[in-house]
Amino acid sequence: MTSLVLTVRETLRYRGAIGQWSWVLHRLTGVGVVLFLALHVIDTSWAVFYPDLYVKAIAAYQSPLFTIGEFGLVFAVVYHAFNGIRIIIFDYKPELWRHQARAAIAVLVLTLLVLAPVFLGMLSHVVDFYVGEAAIAGDRMLDVVVFSILEQLPFIAGFVGVLAAAIVLAAVYSLISGEPSSGGKYPQASPIERFWWGFMRLSGILILPLVFGHLALMHVVQGVFDITAAQEIAGTMAVNGTIGAVPSAVEFVYHRWSYAAGGLFVWRVYDLFLLVLVTIHGFNGLRYVLTDYTSGNNFARRTAVALCTVMAAVLLAVGGASLLVPLEKDIIEEAMAATAEIYELRGEALPPELEAFLPEDP
Amino acid sequence: MDVTFKIRRRNPDALGQEKPYWQEFVLADVDPTDRVLEMLHRIKWEQDGSLSLRRSCAHGVCGSDAMRINGVNRLACKILIRDVGEKVQVEPILGLPVIKDLIVDMEPFFDHYKQVMPFFVNDDPVPADGRERLQTQANREQFDDSTKCILCACCTTSCPSFWANGHYVGPAAIVGAHRFIFDTRDQAGKERLDILSEPNGVWRCRTIFNCTPACPRDIEVTKAIGEVKLAIRKGTNVGIIETSAIH
Repeated sequence: MTSLVLTVRETLRYRGAIGQWSWVLHRLTGVGVVLFLALHVIDTSWAVFYPDLYVKAIAAYQSPLFTIGEFGLVFAVVYHAFNGIRIIIFDYKPELWRHQARAAIAVLVLTLLVLAPVFLGMLSHVVDFYVGEAAIAGDRMLDVVVFSILEQLPFIAGFVGVLAAAIVLAAVYSLISGEPSSGGKYPQASPIERFWWGFMRLSGILILPLVFGHLALMHVVQGVFDITAAQEIAGTMAVNGTIGAVPSAVEFVYHRWSYAAGGLFVWRVYDLFLLVLVTIHGFNGLRYVLTDYTSGNNFARRTAVALCTVMAAVLLAVGGASLLVPLEKDIIEEAMAATAEIYELRGEALPPELEAFLPEDP
Repeated sequence: MDVTFKIRRRNPDALGQEKPYWQEFVLADVDPTDRVLEMLHRIKWEQDGSLSLRRSCAHGVCGSDAMRINGVNRLACKILIRDVGEKVQVEPILGLPVIKDLIVDMEPFFDHYKQVMPFFVNDDPVPADGRERLQTQANREQFDDSTKCILCACCTTSCPSFWANGHYVGPAAIVGAHRFIFDTRDQAGKERLDILSEPNGVWRCRTIFNCTPACPRDIEVTKAIGEVKLAIRKGTNVGIIETSAIH
């Protein structure tokens, strides 16, 4: 911790050039995206395993708190991607270093240029939602925000569980290796970091078109609010609400992952590639950040490494499972009760089709 | 003109001064072309004899007076008052233990330097004429820049990765390794690349670029580190650096 405090304080005090601020932004955006990734993969897997939870999670994403977060997320991804390209260029062409400061400014300008139309597109969805019929009544706004935070509690509990597992793993490793908890040096001569350095750059390049495509389709074309609207689902031929009584987020996922072109489940394959690459890239990046600031304490460092490994493994397992299992139409039915609950919470008139799904009063 | 110096001080042997604190000194009749080091001398000689700093040649060659001046690592002997203005803030370089005032313990820094075997290794018998081992001008040019290092630690102590992690070998040691890795007459390149491939070797460099402008010798530090990374990736020191071959 002292190492992190010192580095943060002195980074603010040291009058480094723009390269230093690019690094700060790269770290912050990277950590931000990886935290959202954890939330997003777990939540999305609920569409298959716990449809009612998924409906509530998407309702949470449609709350103002997450709408602000969504803009931040898109900024973070775009900046991290462009600055990543800058880093790769100077890694493989170190002789061009004199242009690095100009490149850092170019990254910022390019980010803003790309974000301007993207944010306009996203904003139009937000405006449509808040002036349209589906808008949340003003007096229910706080309810929805509190609800959206409470709905993430299982996720926080899961994170605490993973953290505990990481601490146990690190402790077991320390017992076996018999090293002192602090003051020791790193293990010697391992080519593993050489591999990771190359992996981060290669995966970064591969992720770029995948994640930009994903953001464009889901956040600009479709938009989080229209995941639950009766309209065509971006990237498929299907229309939401054709199976369930009303459109739902679960049906959205069902159509997307059932969409086959030429016998291939295009979006399942696409999402699988994205899941694997982003998860490994993201958690290795998080490992870089955490181990930078825990190098003075072997136990803390091992906990950090174990935490990143366990979290990545959990996300790959859960996300992978949700992408690979066959989809049953039952999940859409299951989502209806939760959808009815959301209507009540938002203070909207319940569509007659949903009345049958309301829980009976005790 | 008058110049105000704000200096970060610490004296572990004096009661009440064990913790670092700031002290201000005002100097009169300062010329814009005076060097910061001379002004520190004036403070020590005219106002407070207890002010401690390290300096030797005072002409930018020995590298002993590295300090953080107005927020950036500099050699006090190479910086003029006109470069820093009428308010000058001086503090010790960061990441090494402060012994007293502006003096830091350089041993951890030199330990990192020693790790990369900063000496010429060639076990072949000397050439028949008993004179030097020859190499082409293009081969010499590959490591020309990294021979200029004076081990002042300006680069290493400007690096946020080093601030965070004192085990990180740091820019200066990598430049020192670069000097020999890209010397075609040297035979220990493989060992050096193995050493720098460790978790606290070159991979802790996040290309922040603080080190390059900090170098008082204008060594292209980040470029040198990048070349070492590529050499480790490719497993060879051949074909990494394009030289413009002097004629």
